[in-house]
Amino acid sequence: MSAETVLRFDCFGGSCGVYVEGDGGDESAAQAAARVRTSLLLWHRRFSRFEQASELSRLNADPRERVPVTPLMGRLAATVREAAEITGGLVDATLVPELVAAGYERELPPVLPPALSVALAPSRRPAGPSRERRWEQIVPEARGVSRPPGLMLDSGGIAKGLFADELAATLSTHRSFAIDCAGDLAIGGAGEVERLIEVESPLDGSVLHTFAVRDGGVATSGVLARSWLGADGRPAHHLIDPATGRPAFTGVLQATALAPSASLAEIHAKAAVLSGPDGARRWLRWGGAVVLDDLTLEVIEPAASKAAAGPALL
Amino acid sequence: MSATPPTPSQPAGGGRLDPRDLARAKRDAMAVRARRIRRWVAGSALTLFVVAFLIVYVQLASGHDPALTANGERRAASAKAAARKTAVEHAKAERERESSGSGSTEAQTGSSATESESGTSTESEMGTSTESESGTAGESESGTSTESESGTTGESEESGPSSLRTSQS
Repeated sequence: MSAETVLRFDCFGGSCGVYVEGDGGDESAAQAAARVRTSLLLWHRRFSRFEQASELSRLNADPRERVPVTPLMGRLAATVREAAEITGGLVDATLVPELVAAGYERELPPVLPPALSVALAPSRRPAGPSRERRWEQIVPEARGVSRPPGLMLDSGGIAKGLFADELAATLSTHRSFAIDCAGDLAIGGAGEVERLIEVESPLDGSVLHTFAVRDGGVATSGVLARSWLGADGRPAHHLIDPATGRPAFTGVLQATALAPSASLAEIHAKAAVLSGPDGARRWLRWGGAVVLDDLTLEVIEPAASKAAAGPALL
Repeated sequence: MSATPPTPSQPAGGGRLDPRDLARAKRDAMAVRARRIRRWVAGSALTLFVVAFLIVYVQLASGHDPALTANGERRAASAKAAARKTAVEHAKAERERESSGSGSTEAQTGSSATESESGTSTESEMGTSTESESGTAGESESGTSTESESGTTGESEESGPSSLRTSQS
């Protein structure tokens, strides 16, 4: 068995990694890993909402109705629309003004300790779609994006899933590979090698559960990793309830979703968190894990989409 | 022998030119020349502008903004330089965690030259060099670009697929 090349680096406000084993065509594992790393670092800058000169910021600020964009930006816009269509508007990446109003204006907002965030959170209720349905006005075109001027897109986790999928497609001839976009994973390879995926606890970083995955995507979303104290004294985070325009507290602290692709996994993980304890499981049809507000763990195994209640974490 | 036709400044009946007429004729001629030059300059400038505008417009409209790539590369390079220290430390911690977790996983060197440039102790801990033809080649091939100077990365080659973690981001 050949050695696996591993590159880890900081990107997307977290830690990213590329794992490649075996040559693919003319490209060695090391070359492929370096190429993927380069792409991720470049795309991070190009698609950051916090960089004024980024392509995303320029698209968001553009006064024209139809804006010419690069093909990858076009695919991001298409994925944003697709995410909303799949989830009935629950996963809505057009809520930039609401995010800013909640205090998410900088890349790394002040972190609120998870336990304090849970303690201070308002009453829980499932999130719902926005009445405005801004996402319906996004029309991805061949070389541009049409949307009303002023409608802004947030790259967020959807972009990370998309990037992992884009690069995964270029690694399919290698024996085995994995791309870790700050927690959003794309896994695959010609050798169909099984890889263990550990789900991390939102509270202490311990391993809650381990999945074995040969191919596809895994993503985790939650309300604790990026939380801060809002101007109103209430805890805030980056998952906005489209119905209220405020950070969502649904009773689900974290959801991990398995899916055929990383972007689908990201969309389903977000939808599971936003749906609350009763609705989370229906978004985990390919498997996953949910950490509830009372700190219990529910695991949906990939083969049997049957939830098993796990032990209480605390 | 044919007579030269009278110029506009010459009286039709011949005779000496009136100095005022001559002066007026010269002024008129200068004015005509100045107008011609002015028109030529304005026309050339306009044409040049329109051509340049169309080139830029077509380039941008086709979705190929060269500034995007150039800026992105520069920023990625400076970001790496800024994050060099913390990232290498992070990679080291990752490796330590992985090696202590799996027991049998061995981190082996990939690119000794690059890592020794970073001035950390990462590579000395990673030890040896059995594999690194491909690792070194990969790094040095793209080593001219800023990305593969791996200031932000920890690099290793491991046997078997690594386990991964998924967490909130």
